[in-house]
Amino acid sequence: MTERRTGHLILGINVLVLGYLPAAWQSPLLKKDSVVDPSYWEGIGRTAERGTLDAIFLADGPALGDPAYDANPIKLEPTVNWGYVAGATSHVGLVSTASTTFNDPFELAERLLSWDALSGGRAGWNIVTTRGAVSARNFGLADVPLRDNRYERASEFVDVVTALWDSAATGRDIHHRGEFFDVDGRLRVPPSAQGRPVLLQAGGSPKGRALAGRVAEGVFAAELTKEKAIEHYRLVKRLARDNGRSPDDVKILPGLLLSLGSTEEEARRRSDELHDAGPASYSIQWLSQSIGYDTSKLELDEPFPEEVLAAPTDPQTFQGSMGFRESIVTQIRRTKPTVREYLKQTRYTGSGHAGFVGTPEQLADHIEDWFHSGAIDGFNLQPDVLADGLEVIADELVPILRRRNLYRHEYETATLRAHLQAASPTPGID
Amino acid sequence: MTYLALGLSGPHLIELAGEPGLLARWDALPAAFTVLGIDRIDGSGPAPLTLDSSAVGASLAARTTRARFLIVASPQRDHPYNLARRVASLGHLSRGRSGVLFGVADAYAAPGPDDAGAWGGAGLGGGAPLTAATALDAARAVRALEQSWPYDSIIGDRETGILVRSDRIAHIDHDGVYSIAGPLNAPEPATGASLIAWYATGPHDVAADSSPVDLIVGAGGAVRVVPLGQRAPEDADGVLLRPAVDQSLTEVLTAVEDLLADGFTAVPPGVPLRASLGLTTPARPAGLRSAFPVPAPNPSL
Repeated sequence: MTERRTGHLILGINVLVLGYLPAAWQSPLLKKDSVVDPSYWEGIGRTAERGTLDAIFLADGPALGDPAYDANPIKLEPTVNWGYVAGATSHVGLVSTASTTFNDPFELAERLLSWDALSGGRAGWNIVTTRGAVSARNFGLADVPLRDNRYERASEFVDVVTALWDSAATGRDIHHRGEFFDVDGRLRVPPSAQGRPVLLQAGGSPKGRALAGRVAEGVFAAELTKEKAIEHYRLVKRLARDNGRSPDDVKILPGLLLSLGSTEEEARRRSDELHDAGPASYSIQWLSQSIGYDTSKLELDEPFPEEVLAAPTDPQTFQGSMGFRESIVTQIRRTKPTVREYLKQTRYTGSGHAGFVGTPEQLADHIEDWFHSGAIDGFNLQPDVLADGLEVIADELVPILRRRNLYRHEYETATLRAHLQAASPTPGID
Repeated sequence: MTYLALGLSGPHLIELAGEPGLLARWDALPAAFTVLGIDRIDGSGPAPLTLDSSAVGASLAARTTRARFLIVASPQRDHPYNLARRVASLGHLSRGRSGVLFGVADAYAAPGPDDAGAWGGAGLGGGAPLTAATALDAARAVRALEQSWPYDSIIGDRETGILVRSDRIAHIDHDGVYSIAGPLNAPEPATGASLIAWYATGPHDVAADSSPVDLIVGAGGAVRVVPLGQRAPEDADGVLLRPAVDQSLTEVLTAVEDLLADGFTAVPPGVPLRASLGLTTPARPAGLRSAFPVPAPNPSL
């Protein structure tokens, strides 16, 4: 692709609590309880704002995994956490993940719109359907509903929420009768500076993408290769157009796992040390969950058997993300590694999100390449350790992108929706 | 000696959050606490406008440093697991200045199904009657969830690679109106489990086993509700002033400042909520099953 895009890209941060690597908590910059320390979270918001970043994202799920070696399972509730950070910042967008399976649409609609109003129109809702029986058991259920059912519910849930947001502006009750919800009433919350929260969607299953094409203003995608990213970028933009929307109405933001250093060698050393300090069993556990097969049963020095790659045992009960699975399988088919080689590779390429280890200058090259190739509207960057990784993004990466006219010098817009809309238009997608 | 508390309605919350001058005056009040949106649960609402109580709490936690507050909760459209997460998160981010006031029905929420007015609207096939017993069970679950993860289990030991002694985190296996396995996915606040208050609408309102309730507001409680401008009783621990919806927040704050200068006990701003009321930290239940195995020192690759 040689087409040069005009305008700037979007930069978000996926704040995986202290950083995406399990050993992030061991950073000398952190206290043992930084994860629940208000000053830690204020620092994240203020540093993101120093870099004029568009948004900071917070993942979520209503259950606890074992936090023995890793702060990632520890989760403050996102609307409270980002509601707090909104009070300590003035421009950065704030995206909270919330489940359509384990919430009531009336309560969530009221809470999200209130938070949006209080933040001056900087709130976004990352729509997820939630996987896992552990979450279900916190809500009196034996297991989560099957995947198709979860997405049907999600679709209706989103319709109820947006209708309620409209009711806050019109003052008229809604009367919704659906398969999952019956709602008569309205919100009495004032509309926010951007009207209502921005809708974002995460996940790459066909039903997830269909929902994104219909309603999402941003997609938090998982992409390992540029070719697949371009294909999915066009797919979702076309789905938006098929729904009577402009392709510019939905922004595509894949995650990118980062370890940065002032030289490539320093970055690799940093990544190695952080991986070595983390639990060894994580990569096997992670891969097993991601592809729906117990990887510990595979021969480490053999290639992946085709039946393992072909499909999860049962797509309806498979607990992983279909989007992550597809992106992992594509990469394994392309490079044909042994199981051991792949597990080692994932030290650098991470989960279903692509990984990047190098200098800020090299990262800027990578971002510029994917941007001009029509693979992204921006990236959702996931530093290994936020405490210093976010500072490098704000103070080193962003100035490089500004010099290349890929990023704004100051905030020129005030709300999250306006930040997204001010970004580069969609290149040709046909 | 009697302390003062304040019960704000929906329109007051919008004024408070929107005007920095009023926010600074509120933050300096030597009042015990302020209820954020009492009209949601006291039977008087809805007013034309309001904001979600926990959303207001999150904003105030960041923008003030001293004032204490209770968010309001009802089981009508909320679930105890989701609520407990917000309560615990506010406890951390407010540095112990927050708590929760339970009522039964939420005047601003759309009604749920007749036979399952509590959580039945969530469309998951569950739900319970919208009664005081349901609300009290929600309060019990919130307390149990907040206590499921002791704060001092976070050890951050770089030598062994152990961040949390996670064997000390317990399932709650709550089996009441709600069935909740637990544990909560955040630790208990450093200041202990959040204060739980109960809004009583009549002398017979409170169920016999009210174990999680630290403070009763309203009929028969330690904290009496008095319309702003009326004479306060002298035999209560605390008086919660309840301005009318159409009294401006400026008017309300001026009246409260005057009362605090005239005979009520000042509660020093900035002290965590539980300590400011002289309430002890609730004991942790014994005999619960561990949620995770004892973590072994983590071998490197």
